[in-house]
Amino acid sequence: MTAGTATPVAPPVPAPVAARTSRRTHEAIAAYGFLSPWIAGMLLLTVGPMVYSLYLSFTRYNLMTPAQWVGFDNYVRMFTADPRYLASVSVTLRYVAISVPLLLVVSLLVAMLLNKGMTFLAGYRAAFYLPSLIASSVAIAVLWRQVFGQDGIVNEVLALVGIEGGSWIGNPRTALSTLVVLHVWSFGSTMIIFLAGLRQVPKEYYEAAAVDGAGAVRRFVHITLPMLTPLIFFNLLLSTVNAFQAFTPAYVISGGEGGPLDSTLFYTLYLYQRGFANLEMGYASAMAWMLVVVLALFTAGLFASARFWVHYGDER
Amino acid sequence: MFTRSLAACALALGLLATGCAGGTSIGANPNEGATGTGEVAGNLRMSWWGSGPRNEVTNAVIDLFKAAHPGTTVEGESADFQAYFERLNVQASSGNMPCVTQMQGRQLNDYTTKNVLLDLQPMIDSGAIDVSDVPAEVLDTGRGLDGKLYMIPYGAAYDAMTVNRTLAEKAGVGLPPEGYDWDAFADWVTRAQPGLPEGVPAVNLGGSLPNNFISYAAGRGESLFADRQLGFSEDLLVEFWDMWERLRAAGVTTTAEATAEEPNQTEQRYVAQGRVLVDNLPGNALTPAQKTLDGTQPGQQLVTLPQPKGPAGPGNVLFTSGFSIPTNCDNIPTAAAFVDFWMNDDAGAKAFLSANGAVTNSRHLQQQLDDPNLPALKRAELDLYQRIVAQNPVSVVYPPGYHASFEGAFVRAYESVVFGGTSTRDAARAFITEVNAALATT
Amino acid sequence: MIFGRRRSRNPLVLALARHALLVAILVVILYPLLWMVGASFRPSNEAFGTLSVLPGNLTTENYVEGWSFGNLNFSRFFLNSVVITLLAVVGNVVACSMAAYAFARLTFPFKKTMFALMLGTMLLPYHVTLVPQYVLFNELAWINTILPLVVPKFLATDAFFIFLMVQFIRTLPHELDDAARMDGCGHIGIFRRIVLPLSIPALGTTALFTFISTWNDFLGPLLYLVRPETWTVAQGLNGFLDATGESAYGPLFAMATLSLAPIVGFFLVAQRLLIEGIATSGLK
Repeated sequence: MTAGTATPVAPPVPAPVAARTSRRTHEAIAAYGFLSPWIAGMLLLTVGPMVYSLYLSFTRYNLMTPAQWVGFDNYVRMFTADPRYLASVSVTLRYVAISVPLLLVVSLLVAMLLNKGMTFLAGYRAAFYLPSLIASSVAIAVLWRQVFGQDGIVNEVLALVGIEGGSWIGNPRTALSTLVVLHVWSFGSTMIIFLAGLRQVPKEYYEAAAVDGAGAVRRFVHITLPMLTPLIFFNLLLSTVNAFQAFTPAYVISGGEGGPLDSTLFYTLYLYQRGFANLEMGYASAMAWMLVVVLALFTAGLFASARFWVHYGDER
Repeated sequence: MFTRSLAACALALGLLATGCAGGTSIGANPNEGATGTGEVAGNLRMSWWGSGPRNEVTNAVIDLFKAAHPGTTVEGESADFQAYFERLNVQASSGNMPCVTQMQGRQLNDYTTKNVLLDLQPMIDSGAIDVSDVPAEVLDTGRGLDGKLYMIPYGAAYDAMTVNRTLAEKAGVGLPPEGYDWDAFADWVTRAQPGLPEGVPAVNLGGSLPNNFISYAAGRGESLFADRQLGFSEDLLVEFWDMWERLRAAGVTTTAEATAEEPNQTEQRYVAQGRVLVDNLPGNALTPAQKTLDGTQPGQQLVTLPQPKGPAGPGNVLFTSGFSIPTNCDNIPTAAAFVDFWMNDDAGAKAFLSANGAVTNSRHLQQQLDDPNLPALKRAELDLYQRIVAQNPVSVVYPPGYHASFEGAFVRAYESVVFGGTSTRDAARAFITEVNAALATT
Repeated sequence: MIFGRRRSRNPLVLALARHALLVAILVVILYPLLWMVGASFRPSNEAFGTLSVLPGNLTTENYVEGWSFGNLNFSRFFLNSVVITLLAVVGNVVACSMAAYAFARLTFPFKKTMFALMLGTMLLPYHVTLVPQYVLFNELAWINTILPLVVPKFLATDAFFIFLMVQFIRTLPHELDDAARMDGCGHIGIFRRIVLPLSIPALGTTALFTFISTWNDFLGPLLYLVRPETWTVAQGLNGFLDATGESAYGPLFAMATLSLAPIVGFFLVAQRLLIEGIATSGLK
């Protein structure tokens, strides 16, 4: 498609100051027009509940009787009187630190593998995407036991080489690893984003590099990676936020308990237990806002670092 | 639509200002003392937990009710057990609980202490709900901490030692003797082990199962709770865990890892798959368990026994499910009429056929037992219920927060013994401290 | 041979090797799914106890039994899911791309603040806003309608997708906008004729992700669609399981397998959009 095929072209004249101001106002009006659904949603659906949960974080609230103001009590209790809270922080940090880099590397590798033209490409992509489709289904709890359970396929394979494995899911030392594998297994979404990004790298760049005699590794390091940085940035930020907020895998696999021995007690799983099982929504809200603070610091740090390594096409 | 959302948003912020969510709050109950009499008409929301088969029979009863009361409509809401309570809590926060809400004794006081359920005694007194065929001790399981009746129990579940009779006979030990206690049980599994197939332990490691301990405490005559605190001694818990640790050391149990990964659904339990000789299952799990065993180990037979008794009496307690009517209900006469119909209608009881624990109405129980077409497994379930009720099982009143704090902490405490090497004494002490603290602040 | 210097350059051999590698990887990562499909053709009570993906006694009973669910059948759930999912896709694509264009290309007062606010809404775990949102929708009398699941999408409440599209749009060269502006295009024109067509990969991604997350969403429908006739597929699947009664694993596997079909279909369509995306950006 080409832009503005039929519109008569006005000759570019240097804009006077007044015209520039009006153009800026015009642009602001247009921007707010484009933003209007989001602003409406923000004001009507998002801000109210968010502010309300912030308020609740300073209260005791059991969902059914009025909230009672307790000041910073919930926040203090978290760090001084709740060993399970600290356990959930530790579990979550380990999960994030291991699963995020693994997920990014695996999805980028598979995306590269599925980028080049070949027969059945669409079929392969769909097949590689399948795990992500089922990863949050109720059936996954059963399927994961078929893989990592005491009588699962992993132990079956290990037995062939004479190793006797126990239950990977039922052992507190390995349970978290099975969830890391589950997370990496459902690499489809991050892969798709990388794939879409790879499609956008102009072919001419590679052609030019090929003329210069650059090898595959150099092409990857000097063209692919820099061009992908906005999406690497995006995937890094998003998978970190998602990993911090991971809930469904642990909820489904451990039946909502985070066991064995709290080894899969994710932050949001514990938050959920406090809020919806123990009916301590005030405490749960405080936990949520503590997480917001941490994630906001992380996000701000990542954005600050972005100008050193993220290259946008709109930079001039 | 826009103005409405604007109004609602203003309202949300208003709620924020007053610190009040939804329509429920203490002392503002317009339905206090409702007698449940009045015109039975209009729409009624009713909720329960369960899966396909139970949904079908529940809908059958709903249809019978609608036929008996022309002019009423019933909206049924169902979900699986866990999701059910999740949704109920959200609904409660908004004063939007269904008029007929299914409850269970173990969760009941989470709600009664927050004044969201109606006292049903006035409705019984007015004749709107008839409970004359329900044994008094069963009815008592629907009472709150304050002694008021908040739930009409319609189905009673109990724990049962589910034994793979075929494996037991092959092992040459037969069934545990009539009136066996925990010592006899331990002795029996130990004798059975050598005769069991390779890879089949005698018993599922039961130290992490709260219901085993509830049964253990009942047989010893210790009460589980004293008002809002734990009522049993630390020694009793240590003794219980020591028993399981001895069995584990003797190699007659599943591994701790295998037990930790075992899901809740009956079909996935080891005993239902012929992979252990015995385990404690809910009595009404016999039918699905046998059905699964028929597929995985054709020819093997399961049989259910009462829990081991103790020096102070039988080891069984009843876990009842029933109906409550919330204070936010705007159609109390119809709600009361529905509960009454459910409790007393013969055709309805026949259609439901004790699909959630044995029917608590004695007349219906007898009718079902007298029916020659009653499936054999259902008959075994109801027979055992009759035997257990005849022993006058203790009634446990669970304090608010029981389900959330006790059950999870119990599993964790025992896991700290088997995985973390904590002594049973330290684990028991930590458990009691943790749960008492949680119960005190709930 | 493989590591030798005289590596075979025969394209056919290379292609075969690559396909063999891909298939080998797929067999490993798809094992759980293959097992599920196999189990969906086994009698329900033989679902467990084997690691084999091949059904023993082949039966289609689970599909028949699973499809007729209680007094309803799964066609109802599929229909409900399709309606909600398609509306959600349209809502997200339209509303999020609009907001993304403004953030990526326009300058306006409070831009940084609003962008930070937008990111901020992604950081709060949704569990704590469930209750206030429920109160809000209850006051609006939206319970038991699809509005709580659909309207938020039209109001771009999924900041994730705005951010995704901002990242995409920012990779598009500015020269294109300038050229269009020279040609007399306004912001709407640039958005419609430059940004949208060039962002088709991003739009496809947004559509795909929205489709999947809405299709699999359980909590939203659980809270807002309580009547069985309004249930979605995810609720129907959950309805096969219950720890306090009987679970139907055979029918669960059968319907879970079937429920993958629409998403796979949508994927195949959406990924064609990704390919179309190359063609357009190749014009540059």
